[in-house]
Parts: sequence; structure tokens; C-alpha cells
Amino acid sequence: MKYAYYPGCSQESTAEEYNHSLQAVARRLEGIDLVEMQDWNCCGATPAAAVNPALPHALAARNLAIAEEMGMEMVTPCAACYKNIRKASHVLNDDPALLARINATLDGHQLGAAPRVRHPLDVVVNQVGVDNVPVERPLHGFKVASYYGCLITRPEGGFDDPEYPQSMDRLMEALGAEAVEWPYKTKCCGGAIYMTTEAISMTLSADVLAHAKAAGANAVAVGCPFCQLLLDLYQGKLEAIRGTSFDMPIFFFSQLMGLAMGLDRKELGLEKLVRSPFELLAQTIDSPDGAPEKPKRKRAAKLKKWGEA
Amino acid sequence: MTQQEAIRLGAEASAEMRPIEEEAALCYQCGTCSGACPVAAAGGMDYTPRAIMRMIQAGMEQEVLSSQTIWTCASCYACAVRCPRDIEITDVMTQLRNIALEKGYKARKGKVYNQGFMGIVRQHGRMWEPRLVVQYNLLTNPLNFLGLIPIALKMIRKGKLRFLPDHPKGRSEIRGIFDGLEGGGE
Repeated sequence: MKYAYYPGCSQESTAEEYNHSLQAVARRLEGIDLVEMQDWNCCGATPAAAVNPALPHALAARNLAIAEEMGMEMVTPCAACYKNIRKASHVLNDDPALLARINATLDGHQLGAAPRVRHPLDVVVNQVGVDNVPVERPLHGFKVASYYGCLITRPEGGFDDPEYPQSMDRLMEALGAEAVEWPYKTKCCGGAIYMTTEAISMTLSADVLAHAKAAGANAVAVGCPFCQLLLDLYQGKLEAIRGTSFDMPIFFFSQLMGLAMGLDRKELGLEKLVRSPFELLAQTIDSPDGAPEKPKRKRAAKLKKWGEA
Repeated sequence: MTQQEAIRLGAEASAEMRPIEEEAALCYQCGTCSGACPVAAAGGMDYTPRAIMRMIQAGMEQEVLSSQTIWTCASCYACAVRCPRDIEITDVMTQLRNIALEKGYKARKGKVYNQGFMGIVRQHGRMWEPRLVVQYNLLTNPLNFLGLIPIALKMIRKGKLRFLPDHPKGRSEIRGIFDGLEGGGE
């Protein structure tokens, strides 16, 4: 199936690796063809509605109109764009008066019926199916905390449960990783307020990493550029604040898919992650034995200690 | 006398606040929203979401619109999905930010961030993060730049900092959206 692909602003800057890895994965998967929309515009993130309540819907309407012209459902990897445009599609389809008012401001595009808006995780899990992902190098030894954050599942009415989502966990298991059970999978990282209220977003993000670590994860998977930015780029700062070491690579779920599918690693942008994932790779899927060595070593060390005591 | 009138402490609600008052009138003060709110738990709010709902019911318009809470809400929707009365609390917070901006309430950081963000979108059609960061910090606290240096260096090293804005072709169309909507943009 062909999808109108809306990358969103972050995927052209801070989260380029999300964009590239997702497109590489989609090229390889049966049943997804991402066709990038021409000339898309910003969704307005959280500030748009504060400036003018109709503005996020109007900005979304132009993007939805472009997708409608393409005759396809829209896919956007950014959780904030996904929430804004998904919400606008419902509002505009239910409110003809608002749609008419907004269409009057659009020059060059007109929105008729807003197409369905989807997150790529939804497409992978519910359209392609996790069992149809061609896994060539299972991610044995990866203990992944699937971090959905806020806007992949909220507001409700999307493709997964807002309190206890499972789709990314199921995908990680299908890729051969262990899906770690943890209580912070839908907690907020504070992405929307990190510029205005940095201290609070640092507290929230540090809590997320602390819980992932406590649950025994050695990696976190995300589907949002802001979650990734805060947990990865700011990880050093979060460690300094908490006086502890998290040492947690933060992958976009598409990068982990690409690794398991055996795609060319250059396409996955792993070197763009600030907290290097290469040690984890060396200990797991790239280790000469192929088997996960890390747990074994840990156990041996522990036994020795006990013996000495 | 309606229940709403019985608990009102302030003056008659302004026209902008009326739809919000109607929404908040549904609240029976169970506090589920405050329990779900990560920002309240982290100490980032002067009033919890439950308190804001009560204050709206009581007509405490000025206190609500000058609260820190409406600006530190992270828009995570944890409150909204758990509200047993189906109040769209997160959207109420957004509407309150909008009214506070419209009515000129003092909220320098919120104003600089939100209007600055949309000013960039209006001009370029897409976000250009470096300009937002520079503009925001220059206008709020230029000393912040010192703290930003390590982060900026990491971003440059990883090629995550875009030195030039992206320019979609339909920039004039995008500007037209802002101009077409009343009071849009800046």
C-alpha cells in the first residue's frame, strides 16, 4: 500500500536518522511504500493552538489536502505531528463550518475529506504484521524498554491502548529482542516544555531512564523525535543531575528494525546517536559467537564474588 | 440559582472563558488528573490540574490566567485519558494559554516561546530550531547560552544542527493561512 509520507520538521534536522532508517526499512518491507509529500508544512507542534485555536487545524488542513490529492492515507513518524494532524483530521471531518473557514485561507489546495493519519508503528504492526518483518539477524541480547511517551497513544482513539500499549513490545519480540516490562512506557519526557521549563523536563526524562535501567533494559526504543532528543542528547546532563550512569542507547524503533533485518548500517544512522550503541552491538549481535555474552559474564562475576565472600 | 452560580467567587465569566467554564463545570473534583500529571508530581505547577478546574468553576479567572500551571503543562494528555468525566483537560490548558496571550497576561517566557515558534513557521513554512533557540534565549535569559554550548557542540558533531532553514515552495500559501485566520501569527 502506498502512503503519503509526511516526515515533519525534526526528521530533517535533529532526527534525520529516524527519517532515513524508516525509509530504508519501508523500502525493504512488503506492503509499505512511503511516497514523500511535496511541499509539506510544519504542523505547529504545541505552540500553534496557544497562538490561535484554529491554527493547528489550518496548518494540518494544508498537509491533509496534499495527501488527499495523492489519494493516500498519511503516515508521519513524529508523535507530535501525528497527534496534531490526526486530531485535525477528526475535527475537520466533523465540523464543516470550520473546514469551510479554513479552506478559505488555503490558496492552491482545498481539503475535501481528510484522509486517515497513521503512525508508522501502527502500519508496521497492524498493516504489515510483526511476523512479516523479515528478520535476518535477531536482536538476541537486546533488552529493550519500549518507550511510547505521550502522543503515540494519546489522546485516546488511536491504534493502541493509552495506558498499557503493546505494539512496540510485540515488534521488539518479533525482532528477537527481549521486551522489558516497565512502568514508565507512557510517561511524558517533558519534550514540549524543555525550552521553557527545562528543570522539570530534566526530572521527567531522568525518571524515564532510571526506570528503564531499573527494569534491566540495555536499550530504549522510541517513536518520537523529542523523546529521543531528551533521552539521548541530554543523557549526559541527566546523569550529572542524578549522579548516576544510565549508559543507555536510545534507538528509534526503525533503527532496531533495520538492524534485525540486516540492512546496510549506513542507512540506519547509528553513528548519529549521541550515546553510542556500538558497545551494545559488539556485546550482542556483533559478538563473534553470535550469542549474547553479556549476561553470562555478569553471572560469572557475581558467582565469584559470592564464592569469595 | 444554578450550581455554577452558587460556587462563583469572581465576577461573571468573560466571553472567552465561558466555553471553558462549561467544560470545567463537569468536574467533580476526584483529583485523578492531578494524580496522573507528571509535571505536578515533579513540582512544576503552582496549582494542580484539579485545583485549576475548581478555580474555573469558582470564576477565579485572573488567578487561573496568571497561573504557572497553564504554561508548564506538558500537553501529555495523561489527565485527559483518565478523566472519569471525559473533560479534555489538556485542551482546556491550551485554550487557557491562548486566552492569557490574547488578554495580555504576563507570561514572558510562554509568549516569547509560543509566538516566536509560530513566527518562524509563518516565515519559513517549517521549523528552524537554531533560530528558535537563539531568539528565545536572547529574549529571555542570554546567560543560558553558556549552558547550551556543550549541547550545541554535541549536535554539531553529530550533524544534528541545521545551519540553514528548509524552504518549502508554498511559503506564501503558508503565510496566507496565518493571515487568513483572524489574529493569527504574531
